[in-house]
Amino acid sequence: MVGIIGEAISIGWPIFALLIGLLFYYQATIPDPVQKKQVSFKLMIGLLVAFMALMAIANYKTNFYGESRLLPVSLVMITIATFIASLYFTNISALMKIGGFMFFVAAALSGYGNWLPQVEGGFPPPVVKLDFQSMSPQQLGDEGEKIIFGGLGQSKVQGAIGKGQCPLCHGFQKGFLSERAPNLFDIPGRATKRLDEPNYHKGDPASRPSVQKEAFEGSGTAENAQEYIAESHACPNCYVVPGFGVKGTNDTESPMPRIHKPPISLSMGELAAVDTWMYVREGLEAPGYEEIVASYEKFIPEADRITETAEDDGAAAGGVLATGEEPVNEIFTKGACIACHTIPGIEGATGKVGPVLTEGSNAPQRLKDGNYKGKAKSVREYITESILSPSAYVVKDFPDNQMPKDFGKKLSAGAVNKIVDYLSQLKEGEEPPPIE
Amino acid sequence: MGHLLTRLTRRHKKFTAMAALFAMCGLLLLPIFLALPALAGGGAPAAGGPPPDVAAEQEAAKGEGEEEKVEMGRDVYYKIEGPAVGMPAPKTEDNETYYPRYNFESRVLLWVANQQHLYYGSFVLAVPIFCMCIEFAGMVSKDRAMAKKYDQLAYDFIKISLTAYSLTAILGGILIFTFLTLYPAFFGYLSSIFRPVMHIYALLFVAESGTLYIYYYGWDKMKEGLMKWIHLSMCVILNVIGTVLMFLANSWIGFMMSPAGVDEQGRYLGNIWHVVHTALWNPLNVHRILGNMAFGGGVVAAYAAYRFLSAKNDEERAHYDWMGYIAMSLGVAFLIPLPFAGYWLMREVYAYRQQMGITLMGGLLAWLFIIQATMIGILFLTTNYYLWQALGRMTGAERFQRYIKYLVFILVVGLLVFITPHTIVMTPAELKAMGGQQHPVLGNYGVMSAKNGGINAIIMTTILSFIWYQRGNKIPAVKWAKFGNIFMGCFFVIAQLNNVWLACYGYFIPANVRIGLSVPQVAGTLSCLFLMTPLNLAMLKGAKQLGPIRWGQIQPRSQYALIMLATAFTWMMGLMGYIRSSVRLFWHVNEVMRDNSPWAYTHTIGFAANVISFNVLFFWITIMFVFWLGALGMKKAPIPAAEPVPGTPAPQPATGH
Repeated sequence: MVGIIGEAISIGWPIFALLIGLLFYYQATIPDPVQKKQVSFKLMIGLLVAFMALMAIANYKTNFYGESRLLPVSLVMITIATFIASLYFTNISALMKIGGFMFFVAAALSGYGNWLPQVEGGFPPPVVKLDFQSMSPQQLGDEGEKIIFGGLGQSKVQGAIGKGQCPLCHGFQKGFLSERAPNLFDIPGRATKRLDEPNYHKGDPASRPSVQKEAFEGSGTAENAQEYIAESHACPNCYVVPGFGVKGTNDTESPMPRIHKPPISLSMGELAAVDTWMYVREGLEAPGYEEIVASYEKFIPEADRITETAEDDGAAAGGVLATGEEPVNEIFTKGACIACHTIPGIEGATGKVGPVLTEGSNAPQRLKDGNYKGKAKSVREYITESILSPSAYVVKDFPDNQMPKDFGKKLSAGAVNKIVDYLSQLKEGEEPPPIE
Repeated sequence: MGHLLTRLTRRHKKFTAMAALFAMCGLLLLPIFLALPALAGGGAPAAGGPPPDVAAEQEAAKGEGEEEKVEMGRDVYYKIEGPAVGMPAPKTEDNETYYPRYNFESRVLLWVANQQHLYYGSFVLAVPIFCMCIEFAGMVSKDRAMAKKYDQLAYDFIKISLTAYSLTAILGGILIFTFLTLYPAFFGYLSSIFRPVMHIYALLFVAESGTLYIYYYGWDKMKEGLMKWIHLSMCVILNVIGTVLMFLANSWIGFMMSPAGVDEQGRYLGNIWHVVHTALWNPLNVHRILGNMAFGGGVVAAYAAYRFLSAKNDEERAHYDWMGYIAMSLGVAFLIPLPFAGYWLMREVYAYRQQMGITLMGGLLAWLFIIQATMIGILFLTTNYYLWQALGRMTGAERFQRYIKYLVFILVVGLLVFITPHTIVMTPAELKAMGGQQHPVLGNYGVMSAKNGGINAIIMTTILSFIWYQRGNKIPAVKWAKFGNIFMGCFFVIAQLNNVWLACYGYFIPANVRIGLSVPQVAGTLSCLFLMTPLNLAMLKGAKQLGPIRWGQIQPRSQYALIMLATAFTWMMGLMGYIRSSVRLFWHVNEVMRDNSPWAYTHTIGFAANVISFNVLFFWITIMFVFWLGALGMKKAPIPAAEPVPGTPAPQPATGH
């Protein structure tokens, strides 16, 4: 408040000086005491109105980019100022009243907008270069979950949406009502049945009633479940599940975009990760990375394939702190973990803001703690969760919301893996593991 | 002989004046006609094509017998092949070259510049359409006093518009400079795409200015007989030019939302019609025309309210009361079909990209639609309030006052149902706290059919208020008046019952079936509008007059209702513009040119609301200044002293409404 008053004075001092100067001038020059009193009163009102208006402007100037939801208070202040002015300056009374009323309407609507829950659309997802090919099926599946839902464990959160944008239209849980697009529960099992449906025209794309017969000339139709999934992603128009076509097209055209194209633009590796998650989450054995990629190569022409080595289109604003190719001590340094944590075996890691990271000893105890409400079941999962969602479990006597929550964006999967490997081996009273 | 000579001279003068007028119009429109073949030919000059020296080299090469190789591209929307004659959309990066910046968010600066230009542009495009209607009404009116009044009103309207016109041009210039300075790569790309029509835009602007000035300054010279019809025709030409101008401006935003005429890399494919005629162009055009009209009505009504509140005598007060009423009626007449145009636009958005539609209605921007719903409710509530206040200046209208409380009840219940949210976008923590995307109590109620029921009940009540207003000082005298009243009453009751029944029935059927209920609900409302209003007018032919309309004798608070309408409409326009623009998320041109600036994210609702309020207030402060300037330059008195003023107690004709 004091800051805003100071700002108001610094912005409006010439106005204040002028009004005060006029006050003294009229005191000295007007002989009639009644008239003098009237003029002095009006100038005092003028000072009050100017002060309120300048306070309102100063509030805007100070808090425009802040998270303060009280900016509309400025408009209320101007409303009051103009109504006061309309009472005492009768020659502009109508204009002042109308202006004041408009400020009041704007204040009410602005206040309404600030009162509602504040949802902010983030930046476009950063491009993180991952080596999908060398990942285990579980790691690949985890990446798939992040692409679809925006984070690990988010598949169970209603409304969670990742780069793939799939949950905007598709349901994923058994029995979940999915009105805009088919529910994808059990899709690996159902895919084989789809191939046998007469409308699919397996091996005979020319007979399809759809607006697009094949993904590209000569690509043919799917021959197995994985190819069916790949074809659905690369050419949604090739076969439309009955009841889910664009309205008025009699299910010959799909509303779904091709997900290797803008705005979604998944790379071949990301497509493999998404498909792997579909299998893994149902406890099925996923086809290998190469097999999935081959299924997409059948339906995506070479010119349209986005590979991990493809030119970054400038979206990597913000960038990745560590790629995972560095030794683990460098990753700790780049991530600035050493500033807050004590990590045995890492030079300079003597921070006291966060707990000591002897997770080989700590994690099993915390998993048993009654206060633990996270989702991890093992030491590795606990450490991963602590990095990606630090608030999932906050160690006693340490404050929440101190650790940044965007390490999921700033560290590659490889870097997180290296951190987890190292910390899971750290035990109290034992020698730290070698740095790799 | 002398008399004959005088008549001949008069005829000669008239002929010369007409010839000069036609010559001027021809000169104004000639460049546009000359430019049209280029447009019809698909815009032969290649947008973003090679510079002249390279083109000359290519020509020379061709001359030497070498085959010219033109790469083909596939249209992202029309899906047809075309020669890729343009440059690809630039791949920008977050640096000063692509995004020069000052110590302020560039996006907000551009937002403000754009919005101000749009407000003024909408106003100066809408007002001539009003003038055309009002001048025509004056010309066909058999009552000379009414004809004069209408003519004076049309003149007052165009006078306000003229002062705003130059400000519109200045703001247009500021917008281009802002765009060029802050987003040079993006603007360069867009202008390269639209190059084949940019000169047409400029020529249309010249033609619009010329026609407007002739129309305004020729008012007194062309006030009788054939010349008056020519004067009205000029207004028609003015509106045609203005509308085409707006369509061309809309093609830019249509292209940004739903690009066409370019390939995936953003290369222009040689057909400018495809670039202009994108998936969302026509719905945007219709929505904007209606929106401009409603907005223009609001601004003129606010002007009239300002003049009413600052009037020095009863005569002025009577004139501006009447002006406010006419402007409000015109504005609301275009406000009623606006939701249907919005529905069409949204339907086309869904058809174009389903994710875009979901982001709007059920995703990131869904809360803004809750604000919009509230504002629509406020607009209708305010309209009703004004009409009830207006009943007070009519003798005999007291008989309706006792029923107003029931209308208030229906309006409030309708509004509460209309703004009840169903599926809510929220943070994971909020989701966890609420236990799902739907509120445990409210979530059961806010379904689409019930919301439709709410808004339809509001619109039907507004129609009823308007019918009461029309009957205020009259009693139908036609033979079938009793039957007509019973029929009208039953019609309203059945329409309302049908609406409420369908609203409730929607709770018991699946969501995809429920959506279909909107058709019979809307049909009921439209039937009330298009059948009952003319029926009422028919019943009022030769009606018994209970007393005059005492123009000017209305409560001052009614004028604040007009100001409320104008401000709320301006705010809603800013809100919807923000929604339309931010649905592109992090794309300059959807799926073709990515926004890599530091501002490629969507602001919170609160921030957006603050900027919208700033825009609204900035517009109103500047337009108040324009009003003040208009009042300074007042040459004509509102009504010639010899003519009867609207506030006189003499009985007014039934057509006076």
